[in-house]
Amino acid sequence: MIDFTILTTYQDEYLKGFMTTIEASLLGLVGSFIIGVIIAVFRISSVRPLRWFGTAYVEFLRNIPLLITVFVFYHGLPVLHINLSGFASGTLGLAVYTSAFIAEAIRAGINAVPKGQMEAGRSSGLTYIQTMRYVILPQAIKVVIPPLGNQFINLVKNSSILGVVAGLDLMYFGDTINSETFDVFSTYIFVGLFYLVLTIPLSLFVGYLERRLARAY
Amino acid sequence: MIHFSQINKHYGQFHVLRDIDLHIKSGEVVVVIGPSGSGKSTLLRCINRLETVTDGELVVNDTKVNDKSTDINKLRRNIGMVFQHFNLYPHMTVLDNITLAPMKVNGMSNSEATEIAMHYLTKVGIPDKAKSFPSQLSGGQQQRVAIARGLAMKPQIMLFDEPTSALDPEMVGEVLDVMKSLAKEGMTMVCVTHEMGFAREVADRIVFMDQGQILEEGIPSEFFNNPQEERARQFLSRLNH
Repeated sequence: MIDFTILTTYQDEYLKGFMTTIEASLLGLVGSFIIGVIIAVFRISSVRPLRWFGTAYVEFLRNIPLLITVFVFYHGLPVLHINLSGFASGTLGLAVYTSAFIAEAIRAGINAVPKGQMEAGRSSGLTYIQTMRYVILPQAIKVVIPPLGNQFINLVKNSSILGVVAGLDLMYFGDTINSETFDVFSTYIFVGLFYLVLTIPLSLFVGYLERRLARAY
Repeated sequence: MIHFSQINKHYGQFHVLRDIDLHIKSGEVVVVIGPSGSGKSTLLRCINRLETVTDGELVVNDTKVNDKSTDINKLRRNIGMVFQHFNLYPHMTVLDNITLAPMKVNGMSNSEATEIAMHYLTKVGIPDKAKSFPSQLSGGQQQRVAIARGLAMKPQIMLFDEPTSALDPEMVGEVLDVMKSLAKEGMTMVCVTHEMGFAREVADRIVFMDQGQILEEGIPSEFFNNPQEERARQFLSRLNH
């Protein structure tokens, strides 16, 4: 039923796609985390315009499909004479889209730390940033890790969006292999397995972190 | 050392502090009492600007607390605060709880800060708990750590916001004992508390508040034996067992 020769015949394509998917995921992970932290800081800021911007950013991005976000970068930017490759626009769209969810996870984690902690830090003479750094964030991390892990797993899976904009990832090569073999089932089973190779270790690692943090104090 | 002049504070429609005039001298122990919601804690929290005021002038250590140019972090170094719910940092050991501010705010070295921390832990009677986490301590021990944490910055003023209200009755004594010895050493203290025994014994002055106003002030013997205001009499009679 499953044609294993596809895997050997097209191993170069699968591998190339697999490496690109890893690359897109790593870039997306770092990018979405950085943007997510900044937006989360905006969201809890006492400066009103920053808070509004943060809220608008999150609500806008998490309420439109990922595909549209990626299309904006792939088809929209050329209107402004900015031409990005499929890989670049796909990864950028992925990072921007995911950052909205990450910002929300981080914000929820910070809000979960009791208000008295900030008061204790500030009343001892620590600055806002010092209190965040030494008191609030180390406690928030514990709350943030599980949802953050889920977002990163989603990000790896969502990187398949690159296939739609010729991003040369696993999904893209899956499509090209399929158009030659016409064996839809076998072709995409292998594509799926390659995603699992990435997501299962990631998921185990998140579980490990969760357990470690749970017995930290 | 602490001067409230015509301080008013509103939370929206709610008038929390009304025309507060209060002057506290260096070395004085002032105990603020009154029914819940009378503005006692708010008054206390204005002193280190955990609460801002709507109008009036508040001067602490010759610094206008609510002035835009005031370096609030600098002012706060000199004011220790102890909270009802301790607010220890749960992810740090007792020792790290105490050394954090001396190291990060005053730039002390780790060994220097540790020495000071151990000194104050000894003073509050639990040097053996230095390596424990707050969750491993009883409420009374946690509050004593919180006092040591405040003292480690060598502040000129200590604020206590209902420090024994969240404690089991049998642990109240150990915390009050630490506060008593602190008062004897001449620390300037402002305490919000419901512990009338403590107030009677330790306070230089009692401030009685109701509905955001200071209704009566006086030395403990006069206030407790012969309160002038009807509302204060009512309050005391309900406390008297």
